[in-house]
Amino acid sequence: MNTMTLYVEKDSPVHHLDPLVKLLYVVAAIALTYILPEPLFIAGVLFVTLLLLLVGKVFRNSLPILTLSLFLIFSLVIVQGFFHPDNVTELFSLGPLVFYEEGLYVALILVLRVLVMIGSFSVLILTTSPDEMVERLIKKGMSPRIGHVILSVLQLIPQMRATTSKITDAQRSRGMETEGSMLTRIKAFFPLMGPVVLNSLNETKERSIALEMRGFGSSMKKTFLNEEKQYPYNKLLGGIIIAIVILGIVWRVMA
Amino acid sequence: MNNNKKSMWSLKLSTAAIVLIPAAIGINYIGKLFASLLRLPLWLDSIGTVLAAMLAGPVIGAAAGIINNIIYGITVSPVSTVYAITSGAIGITVGIMAYKGWIENVKKATIVGLVTGLVAAIVSTPLNMIFWGGQTGNIWGDAFYTFLISNDVPQWLASFGDSIVVDVPDKVVTVLISYFIFKGLPKSLTNIYRQDSEIEEL
Repeated sequence: MNTMTLYVEKDSPVHHLDPLVKLLYVVAAIALTYILPEPLFIAGVLFVTLLLLLVGKVFRNSLPILTLSLFLIFSLVIVQGFFHPDNVTELFSLGPLVFYEEGLYVALILVLRVLVMIGSFSVLILTTSPDEMVERLIKKGMSPRIGHVILSVLQLIPQMRATTSKITDAQRSRGMETEGSMLTRIKAFFPLMGPVVLNSLNETKERSIALEMRGFGSSMKKTFLNEEKQYPYNKLLGGIIIAIVILGIVWRVMA
Repeated sequence: MNNNKKSMWSLKLSTAAIVLIPAAIGINYIGKLFASLLRLPLWLDSIGTVLAAMLAGPVIGAAAGIINNIIYGITVSPVSTVYAITSGAIGITVGIMAYKGWIENVKKATIVGLVTGLVAAIVSTPLNMIFWGGQTGNIWGDAFYTFLISNDVPQWLASFGDSIVVDVPDKVVTVLISYFIFKGLPKSLTNIYRQDSEIEEL
C-alpha cells in the first residue's frame, strides 16, 4: 500500500540495527551538542553521523531533507553574524553593516547543531521503516492505540492528497477561481477545505465502527503479527552511546 | 455544576475520538497544501488540530498537535519535531476555551485565535532560544528579530517578538477558518467525539 515515508529499503548494517538504538543515538547526538558546545566537538559528532549515513547507503537521500532547512541555516549566519549582541571584532563590512567574528562563531555552533539534528534524524528515518519502529515501541510499552494513530496517518495522508486534486478539479469546473487577487484566493480556500474536512470526519465514523468490531477498545493484551526480529549488538551499542554521553558530561564538569 | 458530566480532561477516550487524531493530522497537512496552492501568505497548518480540539476537547487536541509534529518530523522535516510542544499547547488552549463556550460567535472565536497565537509564541520562544539562538527561520519574523536586536532590545524579547509576528496572524486566521467549518458541520458528526457528552436514559 502507498504510505508516506522517507524510508529507503536497502541492505546495510545500519538498517539492521534496533530502531530503539537509533532513537537513542538521535537523542544522544543532539544532547552532546549541548553538553560540549565547541565547534570542533560538534563537527566530530556530525562526522560520525555522516559516516552512519554513508554506511547506511542513504547519504544522497538525506540531502533533500537538508535543503528544507537551508533558509534557516542561511538566516542564522546572516542574523547572528551581523547582529549578535556580543559582537565586537569586525570581520568585514558591507556598506553600513559590519559582519563580526563573535556572531560568526555563535552561528557556526548553531548551524553545526542544526546539521547534527537533521543528520541524526535522517539516520533514523531513512533506515527504519515506520512499521518496525512503531512495533518496537509498542513492545516496549507504548500504547497500541498511539501506534495505530501513527501508522494510520501515514496511510491516510496519501489518500487525502489524492482526493484534493479531485476536489480542486471539481470546484474549478463549477467556476471557482484559484488565481487572482488575495481576496479571491482566500475565498477559494473554503470550498476546497470544506469537502476534505467533511469527507475525513465521515470516514472516522466508519473507521471507528470497523475498529470496534475488531476489539480495538478492548483492554486485553494485544498479540503481534510479525515475529520479533533479533538485534544481536543491541545492548553493546546502547551501552557505548550512553557511556559516551556520560563521558561528555564528566568532561564538561571537570573542564 | 453538573456532576454527571465527565470532565474535559478525561483520559478514557472513545474510539471515535482516537480515530479523529489521524483525520486531524491529515486535515493539517491538506490545509497547508491548499494554502501553498493558493499562494496564501500564511501556513494554515493547524486547522485539523484546532478542529479536533473544538470537537473532542483539550486531550485529543493536544495529542493531535504533538503527534502531528512528530509525524511531520519523521516524514518531511526533522526540524518541526521541536515544535511538537507548541502544537500540543495550541490543542490544549483551543480545547479548554471551546469547552468553556468561547466558540459561540465570530467575536469570541477571534479572541480564541489571539490567545492561541499568544500561547504559541510564549511556548515557542524558549524553544527558539534553545535551538536557533532566538530565530524562527521565517523571513518576516527574522526580519523583525533583526530590527529589534539592532535597536538593543534584549535577545529573549526580540525572539518573543519574532514568534508573535509569525504566530498570532496565522493562529487567528486558523481558528476563524476552523470556527466557520465547525459551525457548518452537521450535529450528527460533531456529537460523536465529545468526551463530556451525557447519555440520556429514558
